[in-house]
Amino acid sequence: MTELSGSLLLFLLTAASLVAIGVYGFIIGPEPLRRILALNIISAGIFMLMVVLAYRTSGSGATELAADPVLQALVLTGLVVAVSATAFALALLARLEQSSSEMSAPLQLKQTEPEQ
Amino acid sequence: MSLLLFDTLLCGLLLALALASVLSRQLSHAVILYIAFGLLMAMAWARLAAPDLALAEAAIGAGLTGALCFTALARQGQLALSPVVSWQQRCWPALFVLVTLSGLLLALLQIPASPGPLPALVLQELAGSGVSHPVTAVLLNFRSWDTLLELLVLLLALLGTLQVAPAPVRQNSWALSRSWSQLLAPLIILLAGYVLWAGASQPGGAFQAGALLAAGAVVLKLNKQLNWLAWRNIWVRFFAVAGLGVFVIAALAAWLLQGLAAEPVWLRWPPQLAKYIILLIETFATLAIAITLTLLVVAEQPDTPLSLETQDSAGGSDD
Amino acid sequence: MMILLLVLPLLSALLMLLWPRIAPLLALFSAAASSLLALQLLLQVAEQGTRYWLLAGWPSGLAIAWQADTLSCLLILLSTVLQLLVGLYAFATRSRDKLSQGFWPLSTLLQLSLTALWLSRDLFNLYVCLELLGLVAVALVSLSGRKAIKPAFNYLLLSLFGSLCYLLGVVLLYGAYGLLDIAGLASQWQAGWLSNSALLLMSLGLMLKAAIWPLHAWLPAAHAAAPAPVSALLSALVVKGPLFILCLLWLQLASTSQAQAMAPLFAAAGLAALLFGGWSALRTPFAKNLVAYSTVAQLGYATLALGLMLTFDQPLIFAALWLFVLAHALAKAACFLAIGEMSATLGGKRLTILKGASQTMPLAMFAFAVAGGSLIGLPPSGGFLAKWALLQGLWLQGEQLFWPLALVFATLLSAAYVFRVVVLAFDRADPVAPDFAPQLVPQWLALLPALAVWAMALFSEPLLLLLRLEAL
Repeated sequence: MTELSGSLLLFLLTAASLVAIGVYGFIIGPEPLRRILALNIISAGIFMLMVVLAYRTSGSGATELAADPVLQALVLTGLVVAVSATAFALALLARLEQSSSEMSAPLQLKQTEPEQ
Repeated sequence: MSLLLFDTLLCGLLLALALASVLSRQLSHAVILYIAFGLLMAMAWARLAAPDLALAEAAIGAGLTGALCFTALARQGQLALSPVVSWQQRCWPALFVLVTLSGLLLALLQIPASPGPLPALVLQELAGSGVSHPVTAVLLNFRSWDTLLELLVLLLALLGTLQVAPAPVRQNSWALSRSWSQLLAPLIILLAGYVLWAGASQPGGAFQAGALLAAGAVVLKLNKQLNWLAWRNIWVRFFAVAGLGVFVIAALAAWLLQGLAAEPVWLRWPPQLAKYIILLIETFATLAIAITLTLLVVAEQPDTPLSLETQDSAGGSDD
Repeated sequence: MMILLLVLPLLSALLMLLWPRIAPLLALFSAAASSLLALQLLLQVAEQGTRYWLLAGWPSGLAIAWQADTLSCLLILLSTVLQLLVGLYAFATRSRDKLSQGFWPLSTLLQLSLTALWLSRDLFNLYVCLELLGLVAVALVSLSGRKAIKPAFNYLLLSLFGSLCYLLGVVLLYGAYGLLDIAGLASQWQAGWLSNSALLLMSLGLMLKAAIWPLHAWLPAAHAAAPAPVSALLSALVVKGPLFILCLLWLQLASTSQAQAMAPLFAAAGLAALLFGGWSALRTPFAKNLVAYSTVAQLGYATLALGLMLTFDQPLIFAALWLFVLAHALAKAACFLAIGEMSATLGGKRLTILKGASQTMPLAMFAFAVAGGSLIGLPPSGGFLAKWALLQGLWLQGEQLFWPLALVFATLLSAAYVFRVVVLAFDRADPVAPDFAPQLVPQWLALLPALAVWAMALFSEPLLLLLRLEAL
């Protein structure tokens, strides 16, 4: 059993629940955009978990650091990776919706035809 | 006690917003709730002694992701209610998620309360890293390979986005917002410069500064200004690529400087030059991040298309 | 010199973005130079033993750890050589297929991210490499234009979900041990609920990304929708990245009891992949889907070998696992290039267009048949070598009847889907006429890896030696 303080335990619980909520949203959907949002909620939960774990340092008084800088740097890297992936996913989604709304009928005919 | 009350309130709100965003019937509500969630998350991180991250989350997590999602919403045209998910369809995933969550919680409770060996190690080696802010030291010296690859991820997302970018949506900008945005621009540049400079010794750094710059540029772009800021402009391409380019070239130079040693070490900065190298890399990285993030948000089909079909219709060039 | 393996593709990709005109030549140059460097590194490591690096020269734990053992070097060599081959194919067909400019920087970056992945021994750095690999792969799939957008989108979402599962596992481990490098973690490893759940989460994410049954559903659509050279790269290399990390986790980190507990699951998943993948390949009406389902099935061999390796801890089975990966990579590159070439020339995606292809495009068909022989495991191909090593490893364990029988059944299934194509191609009564005169150079390029996979038999001794030297 852990001896984390009350606040920390609370944040830990919240982070794990956020991940769970995100996973639920990812499975349920139903729109693709909401799945992307759900993925972002999962990553926010994981990053929050990292921030909470980084905060452990300040309680112990072992070092004079406010928080574990390694974990914080990892979160920063993760944030940029997450926003990049989200942007790409949204661009794909926009393209998907554009092509399915504008030219659904002729496109489907064309798909079964040979390419060249 | 009041702090615990504040924490409880914050956590409760975070959970409620996330849940509401997942469950709301309307997609636009989901996006708005998500942005509120992101801002609150930034507050939570500020509370947890992570001001760097709070800054980044507010700018990137809530701000840019929000802008991205709104752009996606705008493309969808008229908004219908989401299709109803039946009770049975909800039941099994919920059960699955609850079981997983309890497993995860059991694991989390076993995590020791004392941190691992790395924070102490960072503190011990900080003096030789060239900067005094530990997070910056980790990002650009101790684990700089991660950061280099991360810049590459960002660039790659841009390449992918440009490749599939749909035709732009026509929207008119609002006269008032146009004049306000012009006022905003110099302010943001000033602020971004400060955040970048401060990063060497206190919270701040390339990513936060880049995200700030990008936020300003996005506002201007959406108001039909900064027309030169597009992928077809060779200088924009140059600076988008220069963040990585300068990083690699600096690393190569540092590598060659040690060349006389038997076994040169990749990405090792000479201690006396480390400060300048890191500042140089950060400056170019900031510009690259700002440009890339801006282009990601306002991605439009480039004139020199990367994608297959448009090249087809142009008759196919020969190179 | 070894650092050029990473710097060269990175700088060339950046230059390609600035001057798209020179992109193809630059990409080919970078791939060729990297292949030579990779060969040199392999020889050096084979001679002097495994090399370790701590990046930026900081103490262990703080720095990102790299390791070049013979397996990593072989995989680097494989990635660079296939990159060169596929690049040549894309160059040879550029005027016909109108593959977009985006292909060159993206494929070069793919090579870079794979090299970074094979070298890295740091859990978080591996996460960044995984994300990089996933994004490059999706961007490459979306090169096909409109029809590929939906598979690409699904691929991206699942790939992101997989990465997040992996990341959560890494965070749990960091919370428990405060370390990220694999060697350091392995020395402090304790079996328990915490490490169990971290391992399970990471494996879930990696299995999703490696398309290991039952998490393979995204693969056929994505690999079939991509342009031919891209499908070759995806099937041959990209799915092997997560598989590599999976092996690192279970062979280096997991305690014996954990490994023993997980082994039957891997073995069962491998067997199921062999059966269901083979069955779907037998049923699909589209040529590229057949090859893609065959990838699902062939990954089953690797998963099965991983499961058996964890059960028996037999070095020969470890060698078999990676022989499968090498043989499959070469054979699958040949298959996708050959099928792509035939679809382009004969005009169509359905399997029926291959009717009489042995007459109209004998070279490409020959390439497919030869590569198919290795997929089946006909002696003396690379596929046979792998299966033989696996059987030998099982034999050394004494009375094993079930697994050899299962292998024989799987072999029959793969023979069935390969012959499905071959029989059609030899139906010369009413061959499908080509839309234009078949080009020779691309067909030869498709044949090259197929011949290489048979040549693996000639190097069986050194290959087995390289892969048995040390278990990672």
